[in-house]
Amino acid sequence: MSNLLLVGLNHRSAKLDIRQRASFNADQLPEGLKRLSDRPGILEAMIVSTCNRVEILSNADPLPSGSESIEAFLSDYSGISLPLLSPRLYRYTDDQAIRHLFRVASSLDSMILGEPQILGQVKACYSAAVAAGTVGSYLNGLLQAAFRTAKRVRSETSIGEYSVSVSSAAVELVRKIFGDLQKKSILIVGAGKMGEAAIRYLAETGAKSIYIANRSPETARDLAERFHAMAVPFDEFPEWASRADVIITSTGAPDMIIDPPMVQRIMHDRKNAPVVFIDISVPRNVDPRVGDIDHVFYYDIDDLQAVVEANLNERTKAAAAAEKIVDQEVQAFCTKLKSFDVAPVVVQVQSRIDEICRTELQRSLKKIGPQDPRQIEELESMISRIAGKIAHPLIMQLRNSRDSMDETAYMEMIQRIFKTKQNTD
Amino acid sequence: MGWILSIAMALYALGLLHSIFGFYQKRQGFVKIALGMVACGFAFHTLFLILLGIARWHFPITNLPESLCFLAWCISLTFIAADFRYKLNALGAFILPLVSLLMIFFQVFWDKNRAIPPGLASGWVYFHGSIAFLSYAAFFLTFISGVLYLIQEKELKQKRFRFLYFRLPSLQVCDELFQRSLFVGFIAMTLAIISGAVWAQQAWGRFWDWDPKETAALVTWGIYLFLINCRFSARWRGRRAAYISIIGFAATLFTFGVNWGLHKYL
Repeated sequence: MSNLLLVGLNHRSAKLDIRQRASFNADQLPEGLKRLSDRPGILEAMIVSTCNRVEILSNADPLPSGSESIEAFLSDYSGISLPLLSPRLYRYTDDQAIRHLFRVASSLDSMILGEPQILGQVKACYSAAVAAGTVGSYLNGLLQAAFRTAKRVRSETSIGEYSVSVSSAAVELVRKIFGDLQKKSILIVGAGKMGEAAIRYLAETGAKSIYIANRSPETARDLAERFHAMAVPFDEFPEWASRADVIITSTGAPDMIIDPPMVQRIMHDRKNAPVVFIDISVPRNVDPRVGDIDHVFYYDIDDLQAVVEANLNERTKAAAAAEKIVDQEVQAFCTKLKSFDVAPVVVQVQSRIDEICRTELQRSLKKIGPQDPRQIEELESMISRIAGKIAHPLIMQLRNSRDSMDETAYMEMIQRIFKTKQNTD
Repeated sequence: MGWILSIAMALYALGLLHSIFGFYQKRQGFVKIALGMVACGFAFHTLFLILLGIARWHFPITNLPESLCFLAWCISLTFIAADFRYKLNALGAFILPLVSLLMIFFQVFWDKNRAIPPGLASGWVYFHGSIAFLSYAAFFLTFISGVLYLIQEKELKQKRFRFLYFRLPSLQVCDELFQRSLFVGFIAMTLAIISGAVWAQQAWGRFWDWDPKETAALVTWGIYLFLINCRFSARWRGRRAAYISIIGFAATLFTFGVNWGLHKYL
């Protein structure tokens, strides 16, 4: 029988320095996999190593010997002493290990719930293990199931839809007003660090034009060149503001540089076309009261934070649906595993009963002496009917009890009764 | 023929359920399935109307239930066109309930043995009737997109990032849909009024009679003309335009409902 064993640490169980020391980079993986698979009791193995987790997934001897073997390997490889490492490791077997793997692949165990990179990372680690030849049919099947689960979670829940960084939340917010940004112009007032970050992000949204106004014209020109934007004189920003659909302010000015009367003029020039102010400066550059004007939308850094929180909230909701999908897939995978396990027992039970009946028949025939072939034939067919009738309910019971918990116990009992020895590996 | 109607109704109902579920759960896939179902339902609905027209040997808007059935068909048509173009998750959940409701109403009150009013025995009914109903359906879409705009604008202005913020379309899309449906509706209504006048001239010898429906239609037309004017001059757009569209839709409902005087046959 296969014994799935997962030993690992992640961002919840271990601090960054431990995770760093225990991690394997892409170059170390082949060597690590080789040394891992040379350990006693390890039949198949793969290493999942990302910045937030190091996990060893193996088809190995059951606890504790398999786990000891893996823990010793991790300690040897990372140089972290076992007493320091051991309390930070989690150990999962069989169903639990399957569930954990599925949750990891679906990004339900990630530091940022639903982040999309993890699936690619798991796939890369799997490829490395395949290349190193440490993966057999069991882990193969398991990983395919894990990828399928992750794909289902992506497509059937909205877990990946909500952005959780402030800048992407800002873009999302602007998209809720303007839809597509391709026909929209953006003005950035103040090209400090935050302003630059905003430009870098906005340059990727495909906005029609980006204007940069900065107190020092050199910085503005510099940035404009790098991001295919247009530098405009700082003093003239109010005029440029009426051409922009999105206005981002991030100057170091100690007071408001944009107030309601100015925005009213802008709106008049714009013929009331909607405009969005995003004020990422502290202290604020834009008077919040501009948000009261029709067709003007005003958001400061706290509002953006609120969007991020709302997004995280939605992700958490989507995660509940994702957990259900994981449950289903774990169930499906376990059922499949068990049905593989039942088949050999069925064959063994049948042949054992058959064998007993035939031995007894032979013995009786010897005692009776020579017989008419037709009678022998009849006896043989009777014996095999009896064998079938005894085996049938047992086998049916085995097949039907696949989902119930006591199935293993039942199987073991049958094996004991018929003295069949199971060997499925 | 009844079974074709049943299939159409069943498909609409399934489309409605999928739309609501897709809207609630933010599942694009379900919304797409819903659009497919409504499109199939629409095909059966069309077939039913054709068969009904053949059976009655008349354009099937000869009484109120029939006209509601045809109105449902027009709304489905505008919904399919809008959803196909804009792929809005929210639209089905707001439009399809009315379609299903109209169909149920038709199913319950339809009496196929009712006589055809003699006034309708003219080729004009095809054009005048269908274009008028199309304008009602388009104005319904204007109304819905205006309401969606108002809700989403409120969420955005008040910085409430909740259920509807995530599910309703962007203001821009609401506005585009608003504008297009408004134009389609307005042109259709203009043609309906003109064709009605020409028909009246032929049938009764006068272009205009100030019959209640005519008057109501003219008032409604005036409201939408005002709205288009506002929309173009950029004075009133967004929220205010949406408010006017609500008034306009109320007037449209009134126009549809006034069936006395010369239009008493409905």
